Amino acid sequence: MFEYSSILLLLIALPLIGIIFLLFIPNTESNLQKSVGLSVSLLTFFISILLWLKFDMSTSKYQFVEKFFSVPYSNMHIYIGVDGISLFFVLLTTFLIPICLLASWDSVKIHIREYSIAFLFMESALICVFTVLDLLFFYIFFEAILIPMFLVIGVWGSRERKIRAAYQFFVYTLVGSVLMLLGILWIYFQVGSTDIQVLTTVEFSLNAQLILWLAFFASLAVKIPMVPAHIWLPEAHSEAPTAGSVILAGVLLKMGGYGFLRFSIPMFPDASIYFTPLVYTMSVIAVIYTSLTTLRQVDMKRIIAYSSVAHMGFVTIGMFTLNIQGIEGSMLLMLSHGIVSSALFLCVGVVYDRHKTRIIKYYSGLTVKMPIFSIIFLFFIMANIGFPGTSSFVSEFLVLIGAFKSNIFVTVLAATGVIWGAGYSVWLYNRVAFGNIRTTHIEAFQDVNRREFMIFLPCIILVLLMGIYPEIFLNVMHVSITNLIEQTQ
Amino acid sequence: MDFLSFFENDFKIIIPELYLFGSILLLLSYGAIFSTSQVLKFPIIQINVGWLSFFTLTITFFLLLQNPLSSMVVLNNLLIIDPFTTFMKAFVLLSSIFCILMSMNYLEFKKVNTFEYFILLLLATLGMLCLISSYDLMSLYMSIELMSLSFYILAAYKRNSEFSGEAGLKYFILGAFSSGLLLFGSSMIYGFTGLTNFEDLAKVLTGINGIASSTSYSGILIGIIFVAVALLFKIAAAPFHMWSPDVYEGAPTPVTAFFSTVPKIAIFALFLRIFFYTFYDFIFFWQQIFIFCAILSMVIGSLGALYQKRLKRFMAYSGITNVGYMLIGLASGTIDSMLGLLIYLIIYIVMTIGFFSFILGTRNQNSNLNTYISDLTNLGKVNPALAFSVTLIMFSMVGLPPLAGFFGKLYLFLAAIQSELYSVAIIGVMSSVVAAFYYIRIIKVMFFGTSNVYISYIKMDRLNSIILSTCVFFLIFFFAYPHPFLMSSHKISLLLCL
Repeated sequence: MFEYSSILLLLIALPLIGIIFLLFIPNTESNLQKSVGLSVSLLTFFISILLWLKFDMSTSKYQFVEKFFSVPYSNMHIYIGVDGISLFFVLLTTFLIPICLLASWDSVKIHIREYSIAFLFMESALICVFTVLDLLFFYIFFEAILIPMFLVIGVWGSRERKIRAAYQFFVYTLVGSVLMLLGILWIYFQVGSTDIQVLTTVEFSLNAQLILWLAFFASLAVKIPMVPAHIWLPEAHSEAPTAGSVILAGVLLKMGGYGFLRFSIPMFPDASIYFTPLVYTMSVIAVIYTSLTTLRQVDMKRIIAYSSVAHMGFVTIGMFTLNIQGIEGSMLLMLSHGIVSSALFLCVGVVYDRHKTRIIKYYSGLTVKMPIFSIIFLFFIMANIGFPGTSSFVSEFLVLIGAFKSNIFVTVLAATGVIWGAGYSVWLYNRVAFGNIRTTHIEAFQDVNRREFMIFLPCIILVLLMGIYPEIFLNVMHVSITNLIEQTQ
Repeated sequence: MDFLSFFENDFKIIIPELYLFGSILLLLSYGAIFSTSQVLKFPIIQINVGWLSFFTLTITFFLLLQNPLSSMVVLNNLLIIDPFTTFMKAFVLLSSIFCILMSMNYLEFKKVNTFEYFILLLLATLGMLCLISSYDLMSLYMSIELMSLSFYILAAYKRNSEFSGEAGLKYFILGAFSSGLLLFGSSMIYGFTGLTNFEDLAKVLTGINGIASSTSYSGILIGIIFVAVALLFKIAAAPFHMWSPDVYEGAPTPVTAFFSTVPKIAIFALFLRIFFYTFYDFIFFWQQIFIFCAILSMVIGSLGALYQKRLKRFMAYSGITNVGYMLIGLASGTIDSMLGLLIYLIIYIVMTIGFFSFILGTRNQNSNLNTYISDLTNLGKVNPALAFSVTLIMFSMVGLPPLAGFFGKLYLFLAAIQSELYSVAIIGVMSSVVAAFYYIRIIKVMFFGTSNVYISYIKMDRLNSIILSTCVFFLIFFFAYPHPFLMSSHKISLLLCL
């Protein structure tokens, strides 16, 4: 019947075909432009569900492997494929992009077609990042995402500081990445190939592993972000348009985590074990420091941005525990954080679209006039804290179990992070939604309309599903992660 | 008798150069006769001569490719023709063709009505063709002089601008100085070996590393150093780069476009010939020179461009940085590094030609070109397609995948790491990041810049837009089909080095 093996190529090609369609639609038909972008991304999402359905969960081999292309006159053949680790990142990407496009339906007024083109290009590049089985091409697509993201932040961003934010985003990421490039080139020189399946069989000497791990760490630490290199994130988030923040928090940060899981840990196991204390320290500092920093913020998006950094601190703790609970917890946390943070940014976007300000001082008592919005906002704030029943609880719990096996002190400190998280999240919600309604600055309120409700509904369903029955998601990852851990022993 | 034997094969092989030379003379006399003809009321035949020179170069290009004999040393071992020279000459001719096309619009608007501009361009091209083929220190010097003299006059071409005269004078003084250094180096080499032919020198100097006593060849070493320094002057590598910002700024813009692209091809071809063939055994000496110059060029180029407010000076510093990257390729001294050098050279020339065609094509309503970077504000709103093309060129210069600039840098840094020049590679990537900062600034000015005055542009003329779109197309799709360039570069690298 239908040959399933070329799904991945179809997934990569569909957004590009959508871009070609979009190029022919004139600017007078802006609704048609938006609809075409949305339909193409929805179609991509539904096809990617097929990927999940047809996934074989009993093996850790790469599935749906397809030859992407071959570089001529050299023995380089680039393959794309998914395994348990990358499957959910692909799904997260294809899930979030239609939500992004739907969220910016009314708020993007200039250059609508170029906006959709940027997002579709990002979708294609992101799917390539997560599926390509070659180190050099991972790097190429990793960097290629910088171009549309830079343009999205700069052109459609909200305030004057957007230029500085775009610069910071760009230059920070570039500095780390070029060091990773040198590491990749050295690996290519030594091994003769950059294919992942070849590289996981190569053993590097300890010194080489240490230096290469640090080179890769430079890039991935900026991307995740870890504490000293995290400054670009609050700037970029608060200046980007809503959908830009959604995709940034939802998927782009996960590229760093994916890089660790796919490259750093399997290829440099000794160095990973060597540097685990460093990663633990940085992550714990990230969790505590950023949670406390949010207490002083006045911009809602910045609070959520800093909380993203805190959650990603949890993720890195989980990843470097190098046992199955920890890594599964960190993967589930990445997925959950992708949905929860994105939904929180969407909530802020709802308010921003109406009143054009994100400063908490202007809002109070929103429950009176925007009840549905308040319920949705409450749900996601609770999810952010790690309330049992939501996905964050399951994932943070797994991470803490994994960390407990590895290092008790780190677990204690990270667990306090849950308390800080509860602190700032509930305080944010209190200030914005509860209390007396403040009409000194805002006169008219309007609750969520149908489009906005529709973007929240799938997020709510997913968060609840992941929280109540995470096994559906964890099932897929078991074998691949077990394989990963075997490699480090 | 010797001369008669030239008619057998030699003149057949150098038909492209002979044809170019003959047509230069013909065009010169054509121009001189017709532009001073009182009967026709002193017509302005400049664009006419321009298109004729375009056709000349095109025919030269085809003559070059249709050479019946492939590899030969001609004219008493003075010139060599082989696939390497054919490739580089073809590249030079193509770039010159683009530069001629770019300048047509400029000359029309600026009412520069003397036809000698194109004659000088053709003479410079002829010099470069001979330079690439040169196989002897004598022909090297003669070709460099032919090329440089044409450049000195071209730099000072705008007669009513002191800026241009100053540029020409500076270029002349420094160029003459470096030619003097070149002569001194050549004479040292001749004095200590008695030979001037590259092949003879290669044979004499073979295996010189194995000789125990180190005093026997220090004279040759001094000669090599002087020759290297002189050539580094010509391509504006640091620490010999001081002339380039001023000269690039003062010269008329199409001349700047010509300066920053085409001589670099010729002189890098010469570098490859001299250092990878003739003096390869001295690699442990000249490698250090080139490493030093590469690091200094990259650092000075990237830091220097941060403060520039004028477009042409900015391009000068960016040229210095790119020369630094290419010197890494030269310093590494392997076949892969030569491959990387050639690929990067091709991509660099395409990027620069694209950017200059953009500069030459955008005129504001007073028919003036943009001098300052801040003149480019609002281009994103006025002409978004143009701004997007320039954005792609800038991102390619930064070295972002999947554009072509990344692949150039990839091959070069791979070569550097293969030769274990780790510090050079790290400095290279760091300067690449610093460079990113100011390339992004141009994009920022175009898209996010604000200005009090609304700047509007005259529609870009057809030639410049064709050149710009060709270059951007190349940069975008190099990723998908790099085969012809990789193949040919690899083939000629193997040819030269083995």
